[in-house]
Amino acid sequence: MADRVEASWYDGLTARKREGVAVLAGDRLLLTEDDGTQVALPLQDLRLVERRADGLILTLNDNRGFRLRLPGPIPADMAARLPGENRYGHWIDRLGLPRAAVLFAGISAAALAVVLTLPSWLGPLVPASWERRAGDAVIGDMGNTLCRTPAGDAALRQLSAAIDPQRPLTRVDIANIDMVNAVALPGGRVVVFDGLVQEAESADELAGVVAHEIGHVRERHVMQALLRQFGLSILLGGFNSNVGSGIFGIASTSYTRSAEREADDYARERLAAADISPLGAAAFFERLSEEHGDGPDWAAWVATHPAPSQRQAQFERAAREGADYDPALSQQEFGALKSMCEQDADVEEFYF
Amino acid sequence: MAGGFGADGRMPDGGDPAEAVDAPASAFVFEGSWREFAPIAFTNLLLTIVTLGIYRFWATTRERQYLWSRSRFIDEHLEWTGTGKELFFGFLLVTVLILVPFGVIQLIAQGLIFRGQGGIAAGVFIAMFGLLFYFSGVARFRALRYRLGRTHWRGIRGGSHDPGIRYGLSHMWKYALGYGAIGLMVPWAMVSLWNERWAHMSFGQLRFRSEADFSPLMKRYLLFYLAPLILLIVGFLGIGAIALGIGAAGDFDREELAWGALGGLIAIGFVAFYLLWGLAYLFFYAKYLRVVISEMRLGDDISFGFSASTKDWFRLILGDAGLVLVTLGVGWIFLSYRHWKFFITHLEAYGVIDPEILMQSDTPMARHGEGLLDAFDMGAI
Repeated sequence: MADRVEASWYDGLTARKREGVAVLAGDRLLLTEDDGTQVALPLQDLRLVERRADGLILTLNDNRGFRLRLPGPIPADMAARLPGENRYGHWIDRLGLPRAAVLFAGISAAALAVVLTLPSWLGPLVPASWERRAGDAVIGDMGNTLCRTPAGDAALRQLSAAIDPQRPLTRVDIANIDMVNAVALPGGRVVVFDGLVQEAESADELAGVVAHEIGHVRERHVMQALLRQFGLSILLGGFNSNVGSGIFGIASTSYTRSAEREADDYARERLAAADISPLGAAAFFERLSEEHGDGPDWAAWVATHPAPSQRQAQFERAAREGADYDPALSQQEFGALKSMCEQDADVEEFYF
Repeated sequence: MAGGFGADGRMPDGGDPAEAVDAPASAFVFEGSWREFAPIAFTNLLLTIVTLGIYRFWATTRERQYLWSRSRFIDEHLEWTGTGKELFFGFLLVTVLILVPFGVIQLIAQGLIFRGQGGIAAGVFIAMFGLLFYFSGVARFRALRYRLGRTHWRGIRGGSHDPGIRYGLSHMWKYALGYGAIGLMVPWAMVSLWNERWAHMSFGQLRFRSEADFSPLMKRYLLFYLAPLILLIVGFLGIGAIALGIGAAGDFDREELAWGALGGLIAIGFVAFYLLWGLAYLFFYAKYLRVVISEMRLGDDISFGFSASTKDWFRLILGDAGLVLVTLGVGWIFLSYRHWKFFITHLEAYGVIDPEILMQSDTPMARHGEGLLDAFDMGAI
């Protein structure tokens, strides 16, 4: 006869407490109530809830209302057959906490690294025509908020062709938005806000801004940022929203900064090729950074820029000593851009 | 007769609780210790970080297992039988069924704005807001149902036959009315929804009932409602008096100093304004919970009470803030412990319960956890 231990249990059907003894019987645990009623529990169905000072507490996998307490000392043969404690969760219990923590940390770090670096590779692989179609589907023609006049359109075409002659696909527009900002949107679109055009003091300044935004388009930064955002939002979905967006912000900021640097590099290269003075851009970035806030949410992919003084210095250094640059546009063409939104009679106000 | 409790804490089936002699009179007793809880909280924190947050569902489960198992009702501890997998599954379900579609709709609405269809976009946003409002009601109901369904006492659990679909509608129109009446009917909405929620809940075969009336709350609610006005008037009067005093003094050397002090006073006044307004809400909320819980019944014979005063709540929140500040944020992992302890310590039950006739609940058990509630970052009961 195997060892009997004291036992009390609830059967998960009524709240009545049952008391008696438990004894090992083959692959079952046999409970005998004081009034003689017996119930046999298959050992593989048992689950250990907790080891408490007042005894072991067990339940059944398929009847979580069932609750068995073995208050006394458990004989070795029975202890060996009873299930182990489910502490952190199956996988972690099997590995042990330290090893599991290291393993998970490794997997998480790898996943983060993939999500952060892969878009830089994948972004340029997405065909520009797809991106353009997707961008058009989301943004369309921006309603009637883009300013249009024949003279202004011609001046914009000339400016973008001078900066980016091989890529007529890039579309540069001026939007009737009174903010000092410019954005590169999905689908190869560059939108300069009228507030920025009004702020610009020369065509060279405007050329610098447009060249920078075209740089974002040509380096596929918009697609990269979208992919990265998508990856991070899936990866960090497990955190609650505050923690998640905090990490999200930190993880993406460094990338936007390096993207800004690349766009600036591109802008300097193209300005030099088009024989436009980079000093205009230098002057403008200096003024822009002083007034630049974070911009609206929907333009988050243009977010933070590197230190303004540093950018300004780089554009100043790019100027060739004693060079005789051509102005990016004639006074008349620049004037056409300045007055574009005012002249376009049916352009609408842009609302958020 | 069946055993009464609340006074002597005795069970009829001979289950004389070991602690009966010097146990406090309350039917609910919390027996946990933060030292026991700490290893759970810290390992949870570690695992949550290294899994990029995915472990938090299992972490919640471990926490609840501990807190429930250290909460005694009369002679037996509660038991949390929910699993991390369930919570995780609930989260996935909400992500796929609600968060992703809403993300897509938001993208479309932004596209509409770009296309200059601001009016349609606004309509889409309003519809989205309405739906979220509806879902937040359903979430609250289903979370309560889930928690009761996973809470066992003497092997018996609670639950509800109602999926909460209609409760979501009630939640919408009652709150709409509550806020619509320039916010004055909010206590009515809160109390009436509490009653409605609990009327659909049961434990074992016993139904919950709640017949609380909102009118005892109105005095405190009005105080909270009018607090900004009162505080502003008091503030302006105070500042005016000080300014007048400075002006009257007219001593040029001291004047500059005095105006600086006035600026400091305004800043202090600003902080005090929010603190006092928060306190006014606490004053209301403490009474709200006491009222609604005291009108709750389980079956015919069991009633409940909640004894936390505004002072108790204030001390809880002050303690929370102090703990988090002193530990530079780490103490945050102990807040759930503190809140549960607070809840159980102040919860009371009176009446008789006969375990011979308390039968298992036949309510359906959802296979997923409170994903919705989780998605809205909402609190417990």
